[in-house]
Amino acid sequence: MMAYSDDHIALAAEYALGTLDADERAQVETMMSVDKDFTAMVQAWEHRLGALNQMVGSVEPRPEVWEKIRTAVGHSEQQAPIVLPQPSLPPVVPAVEEWAAVAAAVDNSNVIRLSANVRRWRSIATATSAIAAVLVAMIGVGLFLPDLFPDSMRPRTRTQVVETKAPPASAPSAQYVAVLQKEGGAPAFILTVDGATKNFTVRKVEAPAEPGKSFELWLISDKLPQPRSLGVIGGSDFTARPILASYDVETVKAATYAVTVEQAGGSPDGNPHSAPVFTGKLIEAVPSSAPAR
Amino acid sequence: MLTPAELVWLIAAVAKGDEAAFERLYAATRAKLFGVVLRILRRQDLAEEVIQEAYVKIWKSAGQFNPGLSSPITWMASIARNRAIDVVRRRGETSIEEEPSAMEVAADTPDPLARREMTEELKRLLECVGRLEPDRQKLVLLAYYNGWSREQLAAKFEAPVNTVKTWLRRSMMDVRECLGL
Repeated sequence: MMAYSDDHIALAAEYALGTLDADERAQVETMMSVDKDFTAMVQAWEHRLGALNQMVGSVEPRPEVWEKIRTAVGHSEQQAPIVLPQPSLPPVVPAVEEWAAVAAAVDNSNVIRLSANVRRWRSIATATSAIAAVLVAMIGVGLFLPDLFPDSMRPRTRTQVVETKAPPASAPSAQYVAVLQKEGGAPAFILTVDGATKNFTVRKVEAPAEPGKSFELWLISDKLPQPRSLGVIGGSDFTARPILASYDVETVKAATYAVTVEQAGGSPDGNPHSAPVFTGKLIEAVPSSAPAR
Repeated sequence: MLTPAELVWLIAAVAKGDEAAFERLYAATRAKLFGVVLRILRRQDLAEEVIQEAYVKIWKSAGQFNPGLSSPITWMASIARNRAIDVVRRRGETSIEEEPSAMEVAADTPDPLARREMTEELKRLLECVGRLEPDRQKLVLLAYYNGWSREQLAAKFEAPVNTVKTWLRRSMMDVRECLGL
């Protein structure tokens, strides 16, 4: 098992104890979904503390409870595969309002006329950044970096003079991370962007592909009139591309990233044909040379 | 209660879709799990909902149970208890105010078992919890048994929430060191 910081250990312990608030519990569950060792640590705490249940008195539930369980189980397939939602719109014209809502929802200066739909997207953005913060802390301890950044993607040496203080040669440039997920759902993709090269990597976490369909990644920015395709992702566990290099840093950092379900091979016309299935925003990762937290 | 080995066997059968095994598993464990969640939720209707969801999850994820990592009853109780905690956290922190008597009813921890009835694991844990200061012992046990939030614990102990947060964290780290985790 890898070495976890005291913060992570305490988080696991307090999850098992039950004293975390709803947001923190969601964070722990997200971490568990992407990190087997962390899951094992939580379960070890649950197992240790679970001995306390021996002292809790038994109470018989009413017989109706079993009837309901049996009915529910009868209707549910065991180990049911996760089913992606159907695109909510016919594959003709992208839902402009919905896409606009996504962009508006994550723009904090534009909070006055939020529809219910937009508030929904806002909550996605908020939850996403909370979860991303945890993942960043994990990245800080080097969990994802080895996998996410193959040598070929490390920042290249720059010949131009940089005005800001130059980092030590061994320190990686700033890394940005976005967790792309459904509202309240587990992370589907983890997007990582190198601050210097703007190369990005998408790691598939939990996103079962539909037959004959492809996942496509989009950049949504209030500086751009419509979503820009970043290409098809999810065909393999990792997708790495330099395509973000054509966007300026501020756009890349402030954008919302969304995944749609498109026809096999991706959108034929450069426009999304479904509502966003998974979304997230980038947050700056802690440099790996700094303490985890 | 069936033996742990029998429960492991039942869970393995449930993982294969054996409904009769599932019914036996339910019969053997329902009262313990219901006791655990009722203590946290303190409402029959909510506890029934949680126990239903918990057993449906047990049915679906029986294949993921690893007898090397946990005992069957602890694994099942954790599923039910986690669900109960999620429900009370999402309902907000108003339940104590809603039920003025709840504080007193829930304030005591369950009756101690006779020492000879305790498993080695429970003895070991209680030894470690017992090394904490008396107030911290109570804090940890109230948190576990009643599913109280930091805010509720802060009200009970008349301390700021941040202080309670620090106490909880230190207590868990002390317990960890004592257990050798």
